[in-house]
Amino acid sequence: MRLEPNQFWSLSEWLFREGSLLYGAALVITMAAFGFFVCYVVAMVRQGPGEGFFSIAKVIYDLFRTDLPKTSLSRIWAIAKLAFLEAIRRKVLAVIGIFIVGILFAGWFLDKSADDPAKLYISFVLTATNYLILLLGLFLSAFSIPADIKNRTIYTIVTKPVRPTEIVLGRVVGFSLIGSVVLAVLGLLSYVFVVRGLNHSHEVATIGSDGRNGVTDVAGAHSHNFRLNEDGKGVTDESKGHQHTVTATKVNGETVFKVGPPIGNLSARVPVYGSLTYTDRNGVVGEGLNVGYMSEYRKFIAGGSLSSAIWNFENVNESDFPDGLEIEMNIEAFRTYKGDIVTPVRGTLILRSPDETVESERVSFLVKESLDRKVIPLKLSGFRLNKPEKLELFKDLVVDGRMQIIIRCEDSQQYLGMAAADLALRAGEKSFAWNFFKGYVSIWLQMVIVICFGVMYSTFLSGPVAMVATLASLVLGFFGANIDTFFNSQYNGGGPVEAVVRILTQKGTMIDLDLGNQTLEQTIRTIDYGLMSGVSTLKSAVPDFGRLGTSDFIAYGVDLFDGLLARHLLIALGYFIMTTIIGYFFLKTREMAA
Amino acid sequence: MTLEVPLTDANPAALKETSNAVLSNNSDSSTAPASSSDVVIETRGLGKIYRDFWGRKKVHALKSLDIEVRKGEIFGLLGPNGSGKSTTIKLVLGLLFPTSGRAFVFGKEAAEVTKNERIGYLPEESYLYKFLNAEETLDFYGRLFDMPASVRRERTEQLIQMVGLQRARRRQLKEYSKGMTRRIGLAQALINEPDLLVLDEPTTGLDPIGSREMKDLILRLRDQGKTILMCSHQLADVEDVCDRIAILHQGELKELGRVDSLLKVQDVTEVHATGLSDAAKDEIRAVIAKHGGTLLQLDNPTTTMEDLFLDIVRESEARPGRRSGS
Repeated sequence: MRLEPNQFWSLSEWLFREGSLLYGAALVITMAAFGFFVCYVVAMVRQGPGEGFFSIAKVIYDLFRTDLPKTSLSRIWAIAKLAFLEAIRRKVLAVIGIFIVGILFAGWFLDKSADDPAKLYISFVLTATNYLILLLGLFLSAFSIPADIKNRTIYTIVTKPVRPTEIVLGRVVGFSLIGSVVLAVLGLLSYVFVVRGLNHSHEVATIGSDGRNGVTDVAGAHSHNFRLNEDGKGVTDESKGHQHTVTATKVNGETVFKVGPPIGNLSARVPVYGSLTYTDRNGVVGEGLNVGYMSEYRKFIAGGSLSSAIWNFENVNESDFPDGLEIEMNIEAFRTYKGDIVTPVRGTLILRSPDETVESERVSFLVKESLDRKVIPLKLSGFRLNKPEKLELFKDLVVDGRMQIIIRCEDSQQYLGMAAADLALRAGEKSFAWNFFKGYVSIWLQMVIVICFGVMYSTFLSGPVAMVATLASLVLGFFGANIDTFFNSQYNGGGPVEAVVRILTQKGTMIDLDLGNQTLEQTIRTIDYGLMSGVSTLKSAVPDFGRLGTSDFIAYGVDLFDGLLARHLLIALGYFIMTTIIGYFFLKTREMAA
Repeated sequence: MTLEVPLTDANPAALKETSNAVLSNNSDSSTAPASSSDVVIETRGLGKIYRDFWGRKKVHALKSLDIEVRKGEIFGLLGPNGSGKSTTIKLVLGLLFPTSGRAFVFGKEAAEVTKNERIGYLPEESYLYKFLNAEETLDFYGRLFDMPASVRRERTEQLIQMVGLQRARRRQLKEYSKGMTRRIGLAQALINEPDLLVLDEPTTGLDPIGSREMKDLILRLRDQGKTILMCSHQLADVEDVCDRIAILHQGELKELGRVDSLLKVQDVTEVHATGLSDAAKDEIRAVIAKHGGTLLQLDNPTTTMEDLFLDIVRESEARPGRRSGS
């Protein structure tokens, strides 16, 4: 699971400390100024400079003076209800049928022998629901107003005391409502599908001569080993991401074993993340190494040196860790020589106080290159100012909730790679059902944004064109990060024009574009810059759907942070306001009978 | 029996010219000037040019129209296709924006939303949501006027009764005949008990009975004090119901005035009488000749096709299975 550090920020950090509120305000002002300028130019061409300015100013005046304050909830509800009924009677609920057929087939094809079937099942239902709902929102929203205009049913609406704000809001609310109903049904079906699909039971297949060690039978393409305690109770080993309880009871002199339902495959772990810094081979703060991967997500530390990855935690509360500090890590190994390929690379973990005066003994571990868990006991051995001492975790190592965890690589010439989200403290667990619900709230927010865009485009474009425009926004939103990479010239070969020239002149991307004419080269770069700036600006105006997707949290069993969800809610609200205002503007200035 | 006598000139061409002159003289000025509070619709130099995507002029649909529609009258817009009738109505309703001039409704700009609170509009083809039934349709439009639920229910019941759709109230509009669609269209136009009713081709698609009922209803609404602006191709309909008309051609106002004044032929006298013998008719001819008049026609009048049809239908309903007149 990939998490950028900015995704850990709390809502207030995101809004105030990281300047999102200021950025949002700047974006609103820029968009408003840009919108006013474009509209004024159009109005000026049609009506002349004075009259054009007057008409634009009047629309803005009407918005704030009358149309917004006098917007009626009753009329919005009437139009929303109409949109809802329209969708129902046009058999939108057939989407549910499509989904049911989809998950019925998925039941056959989803591989239960995968390492983590829960992840597979949850990812499947969330991704399928996400795409289906976004497409539903797209088709519902893009065609409705244009159909009303084409069929002229809009005549009977706008000749009633209905304001453009009410038409836009009514549509958005109505389609969101029908989308919510469909999403709720899909969510319920998905939950049942996941829970039932992953549920399985084992019997004890073999039991050792001591009557305490045993193996279960194979169910769902796996079996478990287990060891019972003296009281006849025990837990199996972890396989396919879960365990089972095993109990042995005497019935009529015979021992009967009972294996419980799976535990831990549907979880919502509450992680505490820290910020990550690196030190180089000499222990001096640096940026971590790049071992040649294109992705910069993980940075590496060199083995057999002072090179370290240091996580600084700020919210380590004793109440969250009553039984010890549970650490979850997913560290990657990069080998410069093969060596003993069966034996994993070795790493070391150290806990340190924030003032760096107290640290724990080194905890050696083998890098699993998948999710690994370590529990640090509350009382442990360590060093205070390099002198050995018995330590208490929350008394000596945690100061005001702050603490450091250091990872080093033991094997020289091997490397360990990590990102900030690759090591977290597990501060308890929340309900999977609730986390699943939050995942669907996240999908709902994306759906509302798509509906907002669809309705906005449909106020000035015909149905098919509005659909294409909404789809383009969606694609731009999903692949926005790539556009930024292009724009920041992180890829070789230049922009679109330069790429075409390179293809025609058969020049590779790694050599200079030498056309023998510097003016021509500069012109090509300038055109590319303009094109890429335009696309990048467009990209900034559409939501980053890639970031709004939270299905990984649910699939990897991590509690979706309330702060992140609240942030997404605010982003959706921002787009809702922006698209409503733009839609209002177009409806207000549009001749319905033209 | 109808008798028509020109008092001065028997030449039909001259007669037409004369009557045209009378029509022109009988224009709007023939009626008493209205106070500003009586004016429901006012257009001042209203013009509309339709342009293409690039802003090039396509059609000059309306040229500097000046009319006033007064409270409590039925005002008809008459003209051939493309004369600017529908454009005028759309400009008055704010569905189009004028290229020049201004339109006011109840003293407010036509684009002003609040004016719609007092307007009912029946479009040319009752553009309604086909997936709704009659009750849902009226409830929906009632909600758009912020009407409380109890009032909506009451009005819906009244209007469904009024337009005779009791038995089809729960059927979706897509199952309605054209006549039924017109009737529910009219009902939605009346949901808010409007002071001004704008009717675009109100009798289009209606059979003669429906057409007559529509005209009777229009007259009843006028008698209740409502103002009605309508446009129609059906000259007979306009003649039957309108108090004043404006005749448009190629976007220009050609005539404006009271229907009775405009249609009155000043120099022809019409007498309707019953029970006259042939001798009496001869005597009348003699009297006309004696006074220097020219007898144009002395004949038994014919009824209109509409009246004939309605009489037959009424008789058929009263005595089913019998052929009319037998």
